[in-house]
Amino acid sequence: MKASRWLVVAAVLASLLGVTGCGGDDEEAGSASESAQQAEKFPADTTMGKIQKKGEIPIGVKYDVPPFGFKNPQSGDIEGFDVDIGNAVAEQLGVKPKFIEAISDNRIPFLENGTADLILSTMTINAERDQEIDFSEPYYVARGRILVGPDSDIAGVKDLGGNSVCTALGSTYEETLSKQAPKAERKLVDSYSECLELIQNGAVDAVSTDDVILTGMIIQDDSLKLVGDELTTEPYGAGIKNGDKEFKEFVDGVIGDMKSDGRWQKAYDKWVGQYTKEQQKPPTMTLQEALEIGG
Amino acid sequence: MDDYLDLLTGNLPELASGMWVTVRLVAISFGIAMGAGTLVAALRVAPSAWLQRLGGLYVEVFRNLPLLVLLFITFAGLRRAGVPVSPWVAGTASLGVYTSAYVAEVLRSGVFSVSRGQIEASLSLGFTYGATLRRIVLPQAFRTVISPLGSLIIAMIKNSAIIGVSLLALPDLLKSARVIQSRTFETNEAFFWAAVGYLLLTATVTALIRVLESRYAIRR
Amino acid sequence: MSYLFDPANWEWLVTGNNFRFILEGFLVNLEIAVIAMAFALAFGLLLALARLTRVRPVAVAAGAWVDVFRNLPLIFLILYLALGLPAPWRNAYEDVVPSFFPEALQSGRVLAALLGLVLYNSAVLAEIMRAGILSLDRGQGEAASALGMTYGQSLRFVILPQGLRRMVPATVSQLITLNKDTTLVSIIAIQEVMRHGRIVTGFNFFGGVQAPVLQVFLFIGALFVLTNFLLSQLSRRLEVRERRLTAGRVTPTVAGVEDQVAAEPVR
Repeated sequence: MKASRWLVVAAVLASLLGVTGCGGDDEEAGSASESAQQAEKFPADTTMGKIQKKGEIPIGVKYDVPPFGFKNPQSGDIEGFDVDIGNAVAEQLGVKPKFIEAISDNRIPFLENGTADLILSTMTINAERDQEIDFSEPYYVARGRILVGPDSDIAGVKDLGGNSVCTALGSTYEETLSKQAPKAERKLVDSYSECLELIQNGAVDAVSTDDVILTGMIIQDDSLKLVGDELTTEPYGAGIKNGDKEFKEFVDGVIGDMKSDGRWQKAYDKWVGQYTKEQQKPPTMTLQEALEIGG
Repeated sequence: MDDYLDLLTGNLPELASGMWVTVRLVAISFGIAMGAGTLVAALRVAPSAWLQRLGGLYVEVFRNLPLLVLLFITFAGLRRAGVPVSPWVAGTASLGVYTSAYVAEVLRSGVFSVSRGQIEASLSLGFTYGATLRRIVLPQAFRTVISPLGSLIIAMIKNSAIIGVSLLALPDLLKSARVIQSRTFETNEAFFWAAVGYLLLTATVTALIRVLESRYAIRR
Repeated sequence: MSYLFDPANWEWLVTGNNFRFILEGFLVNLEIAVIAMAFALAFGLLLALARLTRVRPVAVAAGAWVDVFRNLPLIFLILYLALGLPAPWRNAYEDVVPSFFPEALQSGRVLAALLGLVLYNSAVLAEIMRAGILSLDRGQGEAASALGMTYGQSLRFVILPQGLRRMVPATVSQLITLNKDTTLVSIIAIQEVMRHGRIVTGFNFFGGVQAPVLQVFLFIGALFVLTNFLLSQLSRRLEVRERRLTAGRVTPTVAGVEDQVAAEPVR
């Protein structure tokens, strides 16, 4: 499905290239074929073309959510599963990725005001966000869970009762928790690193968010544990500026390629599978299905 | 204009409770600041050089330490070390101790504003140093310092805003506005009303101080 | 208590890149403070002059502006600007910022932080400067006009040089406060020392040494206390010099505001 769409896009672009290439001098023709080997050159009025002109693509990622997006204090590099996807997109464009920090609260504004061209920051696809931005096809399906400390006897969301649970401002869990655990006291903070701090020092009884983020916390402190059934299914999508169909198709193409040529599996095993000890295959959920979840 | 009023009416309980949290935070912290500040001021004017230096160290540390760092140390740091401080305790203790260094300095200058002659007279009448401090110097010093203390209260109102949006996540006025904004995306409206709230608080304190000053302050 | 001094809890300081990582963050704070101070001084001077002008509407407007921005929490301003600053402004900032600046300062969000700091501190400095100018002997201004200087000339050659010089110790004192306030920008996700500290406490992820929160932030606190202490020593020395130069007739500091509480008692 995605492969044929990609072919159509490639055909259209190739014909455009042919038109612009006509009448150009030898040098231009030469460089066009050269960069076509490294990366497809896009017309200047598409987002891809603009990015190529800039020479870099600003991508919003998390800086404090291992294993998806985090800053390695030893090397100073930004690393993670989301980062690997961002690198693939940038590579396909032949430009350098410029990773900037996008916390849950400002990632949509970043797309709207152009601070970032792409958001890969563990962002769940939902209908409400889809009104303000466009999503790529799901590149990962996380599940909402509850994380508790070693001495806790909370076994799931129903046990939350009047306990305190931490989640990030602007995340989907603000609402999910008020629906599924209405009596729980919600502690809303700026970033999940604060939630981790709060549960480690016992100031909150639980943290609720995508299991991947929770896994990142377990990696840092293995006394914490995941409990209960999944609260929600959270398909992650890359965030793209509203209405930019061409760029969405491009990104979908890159993601599709990664799923089929093994790069996805490699990234998963490296960043997630090795810690959760769980197996997963590339998600087959479509964007439409993802939007229908949650009603 | 409509948007602004709608946001206010739609969220009044949350904003009002946020403002109340701010008021309580500042009130409790002020109590701590006055208590600790008085103690430290006493240290600073004590006859022993060692005590003076101790007081001086306290003042230097807490005037040069950022409040946010202090919040982290008292809340996250202490909890990890095994002391179960709650966000309220950590918040009020931090803000209180932080401000107490300034209170101590204000009180110290207030004490010095009482002329030496009074202290000497009191001592020669047989009052102990402690009694002199308590009955002669401090009452007069307090009256001199009404205005600077008022400024410190205003500074505390402003500093209290840090507590809500920090790790401690207490639902004060600024935090409430932020949560409302995160829900409704109406940034200007939510923050406008928070600003109104803060300005109301500072204006009230300013007015109160002026009233107190006109009644009690010593004019020099 | 033993937790505090246990050397195992301090081992992180000498392991790997941690020490340098935190210092790099601290450098970002200092840079933000210096840049904000420069702009705040410039804008503050404008505001002070606006308040002192004989054109009443301007003086009243400036007065209202200063009163509003002095009474709003700084974190409020920073947060509001971070959430509400329009994209063109942010892009303009990113274009203007020189490339030799550290990566943390390249982001458009830093503009929100700087604007917030400048708006707040310029209002505070405007009051300091106004007090300094007003504290000048009336005779100075009168002598200047007797000599035939216009208002503008008397400002430039007589009043401002003297008035502003008096404010130097108070200004250095305000720089200390500004230095502390730069930690607030961590709340809008700028990579400075607080954020670096939090990353270091999560160091365990990389199989390294556990860096406990208490020790890390005590260390960060010590960095600030040391730097600000040195600045305050500078301020005190300047104050003493000012006293000597004005033969003790002038009290250089504005008493009553948190940041300007007189270090030496008023006699």
